[in-house]
Amino acid sequence: MATDVLVRHAVTQKGTGTQPMLFLHGFGCDQNMWRFISPAFMDDYRLVLIDHAGCGASDVSVYDAERHASLDAYASDVLEVCAALDLQDVILVGHSVSAMIAVLAANREPERFSRMILIGPSARYIDDGAYVGGFAREDIEGLLETMDRNFIGWANFLAPAIMKNPDRPELGEELTASFCSTDPVVARGFARATFFADNRADLALVRVPSLILQCSDDIIAPLSVGEYLHRELPGSTLRVMNATGHCPHMSAPEETIALMQDYLASPPRT
Amino acid sequence: MSRGNVDRTLDHAPCCFVTIDDERRILYANATAHTLLGYDAGALEGKSFESLLSLPARIFFQTHLDPMLRLHRRADEIFLLLAKQSGEKAGVLMNASTRVEGEASLIDFVMLEVKERQKYEDELLRARHFADEARATLEQQYLRLSEQSAALEHASRAKSEFLATMSHELRTPLNAIGGYTEILKLGIRGPVNDAQLDDLVRIQKNTLHLLNLINEVLNLSRIESGTVDYDIGVIRPIKLVESVEPLLRPQIDAKGLRLAIDRSVPDETLFARGDEEKMQQVLVNLLSNAMKFTNAGGNITVSFERVPTSSECIRSTDTILIHVRDSGIGIPASRLNAVFDPFVQISSGLTRTHEGAGLGLAISRDLARGMGGDLTATSTLGEGSTFTVALPTA
Repeated sequence: MATDVLVRHAVTQKGTGTQPMLFLHGFGCDQNMWRFISPAFMDDYRLVLIDHAGCGASDVSVYDAERHASLDAYASDVLEVCAALDLQDVILVGHSVSAMIAVLAANREPERFSRMILIGPSARYIDDGAYVGGFAREDIEGLLETMDRNFIGWANFLAPAIMKNPDRPELGEELTASFCSTDPVVARGFARATFFADNRADLALVRVPSLILQCSDDIIAPLSVGEYLHRELPGSTLRVMNATGHCPHMSAPEETIALMQDYLASPPRT
Repeated sequence: MSRGNVDRTLDHAPCCFVTIDDERRILYANATAHTLLGYDAGALEGKSFESLLSLPARIFFQTHLDPMLRLHRRADEIFLLLAKQSGEKAGVLMNASTRVEGEASLIDFVMLEVKERQKYEDELLRARHFADEARATLEQQYLRLSEQSAALEHASRAKSEFLATMSHELRTPLNAIGGYTEILKLGIRGPVNDAQLDDLVRIQKNTLHLLNLINEVLNLSRIESGTVDYDIGVIRPIKLVESVEPLLRPQIDAKGLRLAIDRSVPDETLFARGDEEKMQQVLVNLLSNAMKFTNAGGNITVSFERVPTSSECIRSTDTILIHVRDSGIGIPASRLNAVFDPFVQISSGLTRTHEGAGLGLAISRDLARGMGGDLTATSTLGEGSTFTVALPTA
């Protein structure tokens, strides 16, 4: 049922605009990560934010280890939310692994999406011959082990708590500390699906114009990966940011907002 | 405490103190941090915090920890693998919290090296992964067994339905044969001579044999499929044997056999739990077998015992035993277990020497077990056999 999928993925909607802007969080996070940039778009767009299966406030029972071993399942979930809300002419904003989830969704229903904004994307994380993804397989196994160790004693991450942001009183809302409260089994599965994925072959099929926001010194998605994407993704625009790290929408929200607004104001590349 | 004293205290603390700015650059690291990571005093200030982390820890920092600190402003009990200047790794447990100092947003880390805890967690992780794999294997096996069980149940149901249908299909014409044979025997279609009468009697005997065979097959099938109901109550074995003896007396006398009931054990000590009607069926079967396999002039004795329970099948402190012993042809030791298999008749010759489908003992044992008891056999070739029914005491 339509209501079910909205509950299952903890879908929240805000904004007074008509054109939908659908935000997809990346690996390790939930929709709260958009809180520093989403207010900038509320007047002009209808914002839709979701939590992927098993993440954040979503229904953890929806997570199917076998099905969600592939990013296609996440794309299906996204399309199911779009259908339930009858979203058309959607601007799809995907961070990290959700950039590829966005690509997969757009390839299946290109007529539903008008543009994509891909923040810190990578089509493949593990090096493959001449292709530099940035990681060897054992690096990812090391990440999984770090995640395992932190879930052993990470009880406080899973316990809900209410926190405030005293240095940002303008936000005026309480933050439920469900961030990173992913079930450890789900987290491990999502990590494997993310870091062992290879979506290079999906890039050439894209028919939706896109903006690639590439951070400086992003260990997860290095510059070479962004440049590869820009070469292979038809209709893409690449912007290299001053922001460092992997989450510019959190560490440098003003720069991120400016680049997004600039892109949306200009006609799309075809 | 003066600033100098504070610095000295921090430097001598048995844990690392590190402060970084909003650009994730190290503003301060105490002496313990420098020593742990193998840097000269002051060398850490100005470096990027991520340069202290192993590659997996950097990924974790960028995807989990840094976003969490930006949103939640603190993190507790985080395990990270640091990278020393030598390249060697050091596992630490870390707490972090953010604060504002003037215009700057800072993050303070406290880190404790956890060598023994890391080894302990290694073991825990190994055990958990092993348990996860074992659980996955068990789940697969359970699924396979469930499928096999469903298939077996389906096959058993199909078999029962087939047998029920076939028994009806076979009984109907056999009853017709029996009926018309009787009509002919009675001379209703005309006079019948002695030779014809002999033939008709043979036809009737064989018809009856076939009907009995069909009933036994159907019986066994019902018992095996668990569709037989047991009316369990108190039974008195001596009285039971006495009740079936008259049914068999004609055959016993005709063959010149002697049947004795041993009443030396007091009747009041022998109350057992079972289904009376089915026990009668078992006793008739055992006594019929004894008669069948004992030559003329031989002996059949029924005796009773009360013993402490030794069988795993019987849930009771004591067990009542009913022994049916004959002085018949006996059973070879190598074939003793097979006597309870369906359709088996122990014979030393190539032709079947005795009538019967070979289902009686299979049915009797199933019935005994269905009542919470058992049926066993001992034998000496050429001297005779003893079949023992065991039932729980009442």
